[in-house]
Amino acid sequence: MSDKETTTGLPAISRRQLLAGGTMAGFAAFLAACGTGGTATTAPSASESSAPTPASAEPSATATAEAAATPSAEVNWANWTYYIDVDANDQTKHPTLDKFTAKYGTKVNYQEVIEDNQSFFGTIKPPLEAGQDTGWDVVTLTDWMAVKLVRLGWVEEFNLANMPNFTANVKDVYRGLAWDPEMKHHAPWQSGMTGIGYDPTVTGELTSLSVFFTPDPRWKGKTEYLTEMRDTIGLAMIYLGLDPANPTRADADKAVAALQKAKKDGIVRDLKGNSYVEDLKAGDAVLVMAWSGDMIQAHIDKPSLKFAVGSEGGMLWTDNQMIPKGAAHKGTAELLIDFYYQPEIAAEVEAYVNYICPVKGAEEAMKALDPEIAKNQLIFPPDDILARLRVFGPLSEEDEAYFNEQFAKVLGVG
Amino acid sequence: MGTLLKRHRWIAPYALLAPGILWLLAFYVYPAFQMFIASFWSGSLEKGFTFSLANYTNYTETINQFAPQYLRSIVYAGAATVLTFLIAYPLAYTIAFKGGRYKNLLLFLVVAPFFTSFLLRTISWKIILGDTGILLGPIKELGVLPEDFRLLATPVAVISGITYNFLPFMTLPIYVAVEKVDIRLVEAARDLYAGPWRPGGGIAGAVVAGGLAAVLGIVFAWPWPILAAGAALIGGAVGWFLVSESFIRVTFPLSLPGVFAGSLLTFIPAIGDYVNAEFLGNPDTRMIGNVIQNKFLTQNDYPVASALSFTLMAAILIVVAVYARILGTEELTTTGRV
Repeated sequence: MSDKETTTGLPAISRRQLLAGGTMAGFAAFLAACGTGGTATTAPSASESSAPTPASAEPSATATAEAAATPSAEVNWANWTYYIDVDANDQTKHPTLDKFTAKYGTKVNYQEVIEDNQSFFGTIKPPLEAGQDTGWDVVTLTDWMAVKLVRLGWVEEFNLANMPNFTANVKDVYRGLAWDPEMKHHAPWQSGMTGIGYDPTVTGELTSLSVFFTPDPRWKGKTEYLTEMRDTIGLAMIYLGLDPANPTRADADKAVAALQKAKKDGIVRDLKGNSYVEDLKAGDAVLVMAWSGDMIQAHIDKPSLKFAVGSEGGMLWTDNQMIPKGAAHKGTAELLIDFYYQPEIAAEVEAYVNYICPVKGAEEAMKALDPEIAKNQLIFPPDDILARLRVFGPLSEEDEAYFNEQFAKVLGVG
Repeated sequence: MGTLLKRHRWIAPYALLAPGILWLLAFYVYPAFQMFIASFWSGSLEKGFTFSLANYTNYTETINQFAPQYLRSIVYAGAATVLTFLIAYPLAYTIAFKGGRYKNLLLFLVVAPFFTSFLLRTISWKIILGDTGILLGPIKELGVLPEDFRLLATPVAVISGITYNFLPFMTLPIYVAVEKVDIRLVEAARDLYAGPWRPGGGIAGAVVAGGLAAVLGIVFAWPWPILAAGAALIGGAVGWFLVSESFIRVTFPLSLPGVFAGSLLTFIPAIGDYVNAEFLGNPDTRMIGNVIQNKFLTQNDYPVASALSFTLMAAILIVVAVYARILGTEELTTTGRV
């Protein structure tokens, strides 16, 4: 439910605050070809001198055999709201996209159309099933949905030779995942951590996930879990010493039993999507399973609030750029993905987005841009925190149904 | 032309019915039929669904597994209906008989909350009922309530929310019914020595208020004997002093069609409501609407979700049929009670 949650009153920062987003960027994402000047650095080799070839405006399924060396006239990218840098004066402009246009002559049709994974999947499923072009060259989807697309064979394989920045600059924590070990299908766009959000003025300093399962009077009845299955089950598994990277049905049973016991002990007030932020601010909750991006904003609104990754570990979720099968401009899509793996460009995005940057060297680039952000551990987590983070492992369709069904019990609807 | 219309007079009622029937066929019957088919599916979103009558197990599964949520929906919707009645009847009665020139203004105020969205109205209750909000904050300051007492994330908040959100649906039909009551009948009753209704009014008030408090108290594990006694005392006093024989014998029976309509308009949507349980409740208060929502949108289990929806429809039909037999409109127009 988190991605669908209606939240009110929050500044428009996080892409998870959807209804706040609405039409800001609207349909005006067609960018003028006049960029802000080519300051982008390291270029993928062959593409520099080649002029853009005029491609047909309508992407068609047959036009797939396009060489990477000749960027197409346009490339279509589906993303979430508030998930890229914006021009301070004109919210419909995205400086990094303008730089891409200036460099390759490609117009980026950037659309903030993804409101939640499931419903966006619904829009691209029919053409993918029929073996047709979805109209998108790049889509940005969360891990579990990315796994599903790869499992269904609906994702193009990257030509990694075209993507030198990507291959060099992906942080190590993202490499070698079971569902795409060589990173040929997905490129992390932004990540977030799931950990302990709390109000130390009430709870004192907290470091361990065990607090979520301990009926302490300070937070009993004022503790909230997340409605997102992978986050709540994942944290419970870490607390129980299980590995969320390799989830089994037995693990689900144990995690659900622990969560149900905590509910029975009166620890848990409710399970929430983004609206846990409101409860934290109102004092109705003092201890929550929280997303790092939300907590950056919550901390600004109520400075006493804190976020910690549990000493046992925390969850890492990622939205990934992928090229859907049959994309009309695959080569250009690869250039686009690679473009954002330049540390300077990544830093420029990160100055506007509250999530974790997957690009090596972006932290150094950020120091030049905005030293304050570079110091923020929730955007650039130090290595010892990164090492504690776990990515929820891939689930088969049957196992996923089982996990969801068990988790429905925790939600009170099972 | 005139003769043509005369000759084909039979066509007029059908022509008048057509828009409504077509609308319902397209937007109710057809989707409902689709959903009925879907309730006999098995399979998954990725692999596709297949139809088989053997999948009637979708129904048995839903009834077995989700009995608590069904029961909860009926109890919550029922409690909210009784509460809206207890609040709406005096309100409608007062507007109709004592409203005078402020009648229209008062009616407008009843409907006014509808000018904001259902969702916003519900979420604003979170602010009112918050643990240290404007309601509980001052009481806790006084030390009357323990620090960990809360209303949000409890059944009380959910039922209160439903009661609030559906109050106008109860008030308006009752108002229309009470308004139509011929005041001369009441005057005639008084002329025939219908005075205060004692001790009947006191007893009725005590029984209704005490009973409701006892039921709610038992459901929520509150100290119900104290609550019931208190409520019975207040209800008894109200009945003793305010209820007249002319009301019991004339006004109330004549307003029963409004009560009937109002309670259906409240109970039926309330039983399927999931917004109040989602925002004001917690996992222990989720209703059947929340289950259906989760099944449809999170688990993509369309077959079971469809079966749940149809079971809910059947349950509502049964409850309403029983209710209609007890308080059916035909009975009201016949004599015997007046």
